[in-house]
Amino acid sequence: MGFLTVLKKMKQKEKEMRILILGLDNAGKTTILKRFNGEPIDTISPTLGFNIKTLEHRGFKLNMWDVGGQKSLRSYWRNYFECTDGLIWVVDSADKRRLEDCMKELNSLLLEERLAGSTLLIFANKQDLPGAYNINQLRDILELDKIKTHHWKIISCSAVTGENLLNGVDWLINDIAARIFTLD
Amino acid sequence: MELISEGVDKISILKSREIERKLNLQRKQETKRSGLAENEQLEFFERTFNEKQNFIENLIKKSLSIPKNDLPDHFNTISKEVLLLQKYVAASNLFLRNYFLQKCQNIIQELSARARDLENELMPKKKFGFKKKTKGKESEKTERDVVDGVRLSNGGISSGSNHLEKKSPTIECGFYKRTHEVLSLSGVEIYKKDVSLEKLTNCKIFTGPISTSIFAENCQNCTFVIACQQLRLHSSRNIDIYLHVTSRAIMEDCTEISIAPYNWLYENIDEHFAESGLDRLVNNWRSIDDFNWLNMEKRSPNWREMDQEYRVREWT
Repeated sequence: MGFLTVLKKMKQKEKEMRILILGLDNAGKTTILKRFNGEPIDTISPTLGFNIKTLEHRGFKLNMWDVGGQKSLRSYWRNYFECTDGLIWVVDSADKRRLEDCMKELNSLLLEERLAGSTLLIFANKQDLPGAYNINQLRDILELDKIKTHHWKIISCSAVTGENLLNGVDWLINDIAARIFTLD
Repeated sequence: MELISEGVDKISILKSREIERKLNLQRKQETKRSGLAENEQLEFFERTFNEKQNFIENLIKKSLSIPKNDLPDHFNTISKEVLLLQKYVAASNLFLRNYFLQKCQNIIQELSARARDLENELMPKKKFGFKKKTKGKESEKTERDVVDGVRLSNGGISSGSNHLEKKSPTIECGFYKRTHEVLSLSGVEIYKKDVSLEKLTNCKIFTGPISTSIFAENCQNCTFVIACQQLRLHSSRNIDIYLHVTSRAIMEDCTEISIAPYNWLYENIDEHFAESGLDRLVNNWRSIDDFNWLNMEKRSPNWREMDQEYRVREWT
């Protein structure tokens, strides 16, 4: 097994993943990214364009792309689709008025051919806010059970408290890792 | 004597060779055995895989006899098991042959497809969600919903015209569809909350310091006196904003926006500023990013600083 072990180790060393963070504006994409990276979150401005962060997590190199969610930026999202291993869709669970918008945008993303192989993590963010929908409600409202084209999971979180962020990203990484290894 | 000693040497050489030979033999046997171990691993894998496969198949068969309430959980376990199995295959892919790997993956795919179909069959109805509009008069009733005493109709976006069923969502914190009103929010009402202002016409809105963001959309002819970390202003016209913003304000699809510094004073405002965590000394009210104006050299025509003489000095 010596040779195979070496091979396996080599493979693990170059584990690099490209993760795209999208969602409507004011969903908390940048806050999630910064909180995950341990940066202060009280000076975050609405994103003009995009933020990129490369971070090491559990031996993986994660290239995180956080693209602004304003209406006028959404048409540029597609410029970031290429080679995406994982998609994090961030939902403002307390913004009940725009959930329909949110569902529409998500569904049009899932039709994208270039995102076809990627794993989808849905962060039900802002759980710290009173009146936020829980994941079961969001699952129904956003009709997530209809998603058959991607591996997906919805996880409740709060970027402000940091709750569950790690769990979510860990699930995403595990799923991507399983897929990438299987395809090798 | 020399002869004898030479003989002893020869014997010791022979002996050491004998030991070497035995060691070699042992080594060979070990490698043989480890080869066997590999085979055994394969067998072991096959056995575990089959066991798991049967287990999942049984689960799927069982779903017909499970009460409706437990179905979601049941299908969750199934999909979890399938995922686990997939992971197991992935972890073992180093010693599996291509053909075998393919076979396993086909089985996994088939299992998950079967579970999915069954799930669609057994739990077709959504309790809550957007529903396709059915034509006819009956839908007229459900299409309209009453919120806060205000009738709201949902002008669907897509051609299918979706609408929200039952609990029509209200704004958790903020105002929706108001005209000719003076409204204020401060203290506990906005403590650690996002605030949204939607479809307001001819209103005056006052807020205390908001530690996160204000989201405003479709407002007209209003005056906002607001303090927040972020302001997001969308599709609005003719708004006077007296603003305290510690990070940044942005606007999109807005026109005729006038901005002045925040100047609402009320009894507990110092306390509230402290609670909100907003820095009173940092106010970026002058730097607003307009998503419809990317020209850096020229100022956006959609907003301007309010003239001094036009500003309201004191709110009563």
